[in-house]
Amino acid sequence: MTAAAAGPSGIVVDLADHFNNRGLSAVEGKGSGGFNVWSNTFPAEQLPAPGSEPVIDGVRFRFPAQDSGGADNLRCAGQLVAVPQGRYEWIHVLAAAERHSEDFVYLHFADGAADSEWLRVSDFWPQTPGQFGGREAFRCTVLHYPRHVQPDMAPVIWRHRVPVPREADLTAVRLPDNPAIHIFAMTLLDPR
Amino acid sequence: MKTVLAGVHPWRHDLAGCLHACAATLLRFHGIPPLDALGSAWSFYYPPDDYRQEEYYFPCSPGRSLLSALAPYHPVRSQWYQPADAAAGWEQVRARIAAGQPAAVAVDNFYLPFRPAYHDVHANHLIVVYGFDDEAGTARVLDSVPPRFNGDIALTDLTAARDSSNPAEGDRDMFFADQRIGNRWLAAEADSSEPPGRDRVRDHLRRNVSGFAAAVPHQGMAGLRGFLGGMEERLAAGEQVSDELFVVAGTALAVTALHADWLMLGGRAYGEPAWTELGRQVKRIAHHWTAIRIMAALTRSGEVPVGRLRHRHRALLHDQECVLADMAEVS
Repeated sequence: MTAAAAGPSGIVVDLADHFNNRGLSAVEGKGSGGFNVWSNTFPAEQLPAPGSEPVIDGVRFRFPAQDSGGADNLRCAGQLVAVPQGRYEWIHVLAAAERHSEDFVYLHFADGAADSEWLRVSDFWPQTPGQFGGREAFRCTVLHYPRHVQPDMAPVIWRHRVPVPREADLTAVRLPDNPAIHIFAMTLLDPR
Repeated sequence: MKTVLAGVHPWRHDLAGCLHACAATLLRFHGIPPLDALGSAWSFYYPPDDYRQEEYYFPCSPGRSLLSALAPYHPVRSQWYQPADAAAGWEQVRARIAAGQPAAVAVDNFYLPFRPAYHDVHANHLIVVYGFDDEAGTARVLDSVPPRFNGDIALTDLTAARDSSNPAEGDRDMFFADQRIGNRWLAAEADSSEPPGRDRVRDHLRRNVSGFAAAVPHQGMAGLRGFLGGMEERLAAGEQVSDELFVVAGTALAVTALHADWLMLGGRAYGEPAWTELGRQVKRIAHHWTAIRIMAALTRSGEVPVGRLRHRHRALLHDQECVLADMAEVS
């Protein structure tokens, strides 16, 4: 985990209602998830506790807890995520992709306006460099396969950010229909 | 006898797979810059039902070798060999290496101790063999795909991996199983190529634009449109298209991503910001292919219905038409 640079900040967005994929697993349940199409998962033991609030580069996130269906991340499928109405400059995400990828999000504002911006996310796959200027948030030392734990594979969850250039109250974010992109957590940063 | 060839180096692009990794290693061995060879051409060609469940599948037009299809603007060629049995398979590869040339060999990951699939699942893969030690009973292999491995393995393991029937078992690695390995191996040949240059970049851009416009069956924009439309029609009719679309999208993703990087490298090398920007536009097309590849896999369970796929296809085709129009102006 990257240490906090200053006092943590940010408005945490609750994504739990949108979770639709299980990307983390405990060793004893490594066959229960499927972050990618090969059914690999991140080792939950090496990541923050469910529901905890790790601070990454000064930004506070809420690390996902499994919902009642066992999902712990959002695989992008065009979801409309409501956010606490307010002025923000950046949308930070903890995210990872099945091969690095980019797509449009639509930012919806209280006055009825909507702008498209880019969401760009690096690959979770081990031995793969980050892209788009994203920062490594969590690097694990093993990768879970359904029937074994692979010791020399180190998957990564990244921190990326989306700008909010319009100086107006943001109300919602429409995510892309791109199942290669997974989001674990989202935090909004205001102009202060 | 014991030998390890010099000049064999790992190479990997994160939007490509083992085929481009092996091809790059072999090209570099022959003194050809990998990205220039593998990234200068941008095209689409795929005749329906041509795909095979191999991680190293690549559609080749009639009469064209695999390496020539990957690097059509360079004087390179390759030949697949299919030995009669495992003994002949090693004899041929050993002779190739003893003569000073590395070989790419098809393997089943199930039998390779350094692969995550070892004794877990079967998957058709490609690695480079470039040395051996008869007395120790080992072969020197290079696999640039994570977890990267560059070292000696027991010849018995390599032989088992090459001689595997690669059966489809269970519900994992569904894309690259059920295709016999058959001890196949690939030999690459290359002549000396022209050095890269500004005029050559422009010439390649013109040829790429022209290729996409050509009215050749299964090729260019018309071929791409036909392929994607065909996938939609078959999915709507209830057919499984996940394997074919996943494999073909993987090849298109690799070709497109490498071309994007080649353009951006050219932009930097020759002080042409317009090429860099064009490369970034092409990278956007690669990202469409990434989405399509995963969508393809998710059509299997019904998670991605034809409407979602069609929407993505439409976006890719639109963006690619725009890129090609800009490319025509720049070249």
